[in-house]
Amino acid sequence: MNDRVKHIFIWPAFLLVLVITLFPLIYALTVSFQTVRIVPPTPARFVGFDNYADILANARFWGAIATTATIVIISVLAQYAIGFSVALALHHNVPGASLFRVTFLLPMFLAPVCVALIAKMIFHPVLGPANELFSMFGLENLPFLTDPNFAIAVLIAIETWQWTPFVVLLMLAGLQNLPAEVFEAARVDNISAWRRFRDITFPMLLPLSAAVIFIRLIEGFKIIDTVFILTGGGPGTSTETLTLFAYNEGFKKFNIGMTSALSFLFLIVVIVFGTLYLAGARKLTQRYAQ
Amino acid sequence: MRRESFRKAGFLLSMFWLLLCIFPLWWVLVTAFKPPLAVSGGATYLPFWDFQPSLHAFRDAFSGIRGDFWGPISSSIFISIVSTGLAVLLGSMAAYALIRFKFSIHLLAGLLFAVLAIGGFVVMTEMWNIRVPYALLVVLFVALPVSVWANGRNLPGPVLGNDDVTFWFVSQRMFPPIVSAFALFLLYAETGKAGFRLLDTFGGMVLAYTAFGLPFAVWLMRDFFESVPVEVEEAAMVDDIGRMRIFAQIVLPMSLPGLIATSMVVLAFIWNEFLFALLLTSSRWQTLPILLAGQNSSRGDEWWAISVATLISIIPMILVATFLGRMMRSGMLSGSIK
Repeated sequence: MNDRVKHIFIWPAFLLVLVITLFPLIYALTVSFQTVRIVPPTPARFVGFDNYADILANARFWGAIATTATIVIISVLAQYAIGFSVALALHHNVPGASLFRVTFLLPMFLAPVCVALIAKMIFHPVLGPANELFSMFGLENLPFLTDPNFAIAVLIAIETWQWTPFVVLLMLAGLQNLPAEVFEAARVDNISAWRRFRDITFPMLLPLSAAVIFIRLIEGFKIIDTVFILTGGGPGTSTETLTLFAYNEGFKKFNIGMTSALSFLFLIVVIVFGTLYLAGARKLTQRYAQ
Repeated sequence: MRRESFRKAGFLLSMFWLLLCIFPLWWVLVTAFKPPLAVSGGATYLPFWDFQPSLHAFRDAFSGIRGDFWGPISSSIFISIVSTGLAVLLGSMAAYALIRFKFSIHLLAGLLFAVLAIGGFVVMTEMWNIRVPYALLVVLFVALPVSVWANGRNLPGPVLGNDDVTFWFVSQRMFPPIVSAFALFLLYAETGKAGFRLLDTFGGMVLAYTAFGLPFAVWLMRDFFESVPVEVEEAAMVDDIGRMRIFAQIVLPMSLPGLIATSMVVLAFIWNEFLFALLLTSSRWQTLPILLAGQNSSRGDEWWAISVATLISIIPMILVATFLGRMMRSGMLSGSIK
């Protein structure tokens, strides 16, 4: 039948993804049960779950999980709160809304590496504008990038700056797809703006919100570029994220088996967080739907 | 009155956020023109007012006395354009197939493939000491046809449909990229040992980035194709025009705005990508983000130089974002975000 042609359409894409993304994973999975070192080169030796056990016993791994989770959870909440508010403002056509619509998108199109480089200048403890701003309040030469807590706060600020536009974009699209009649009826009944938001807009956008937050959580867990530039994981390993930890492990110590095991553990962490989140989100959505 | 105060708060918030968005961009723009004294003397903001702008940083960068700039720029341009083109083309084809045809894959056939592939791979590399790339090739040419054949039989168990295939494509993006990037690095290193160099080559980067961009392309193009009326295609089929020609000459031109938007999004992702480039390139095919990261460690204090390099990477993306913003406002993409 004519249907045969469908194979010509789908196979190139399928094969490419299979060969480039999945086959390496099969290889990495087998490597993760061995000790393999490139420098000095040692023959591969099967060690079972030793690599996994080593990592689970390593405080650095748990530290990296805590750091990543802190950055991701706080920054995603901030992105959602700011992004949703800005989307609401734009939806109600505040003055200048048409200008904002273009400029709001900008940050998320910049390379995270660039954003980190700019942030490094802005948060310079002596010469940067952030220092000048805080000096006005009598807080001079704060150790923005050299104190663990400050550094994590700066990373959260950068993530929020860069990815709030994504939330604005999607929430705005969601707001524009809401049925106008409901809001007309609410206005006729003279229901206050706050109640309209709490009882109509927010619940109706809850499924979209859950999806947006989910995407940002998953994407946020991948963070490396900004940390790599801004602090390199330091001071010590206090700002090391999971991806950076895996990179350091693989490319500074050349311990391939360990890094493979680490990246699979990372995958498990993401799956665990993702599942927990989805379960929570479903419960919340159901409660509101009743 | 309550209504007015909400509007005012919204306006203030938007203005504040706009300022926050613009300031870092303004900062990097003016810093690129600063002479060294305007940097080391503390923060300066306004050219001609705070400091005398000069072009010395741009001259330094492009004359090449501070390391090769043109190399990474041109590799970034070549790699991202070719991979974007390929990803959007292959992705559109797959998306079209997923919209217009019905696929059914037996879960059992999929599992069979997984078992054959992983088991066969382990046996070949561990017991028979076959090199990794060859083992994978054997897996590809044995396990895959066997599973496809098995899929044609009447297998029991659940059957996966088009939505599951789409999800399979999109789920590639949910992996932490370090997992696939590192695995790909290992595989490329092995193919290199077998005599076929992929690390730090144009081909290797394009392959990786095409696979990286494909999930986006499939996901976005599916929505655009859905809005193409099927009647036009049916009319063409009555006239006995082949599917390939229908796709290339009717469907693609009809979804041109979607095609452009998808290309821009994929291009932005590839242009900005850091981790794959960090692992898979070392010198010849280094991309712009890697050059920037290198600048950070070698010339961290020379802000004017850093700013010039950053601007080079940012400007194309500002154009892309502005263009997309305009497309969105004119309603061309209204159906795409759902």
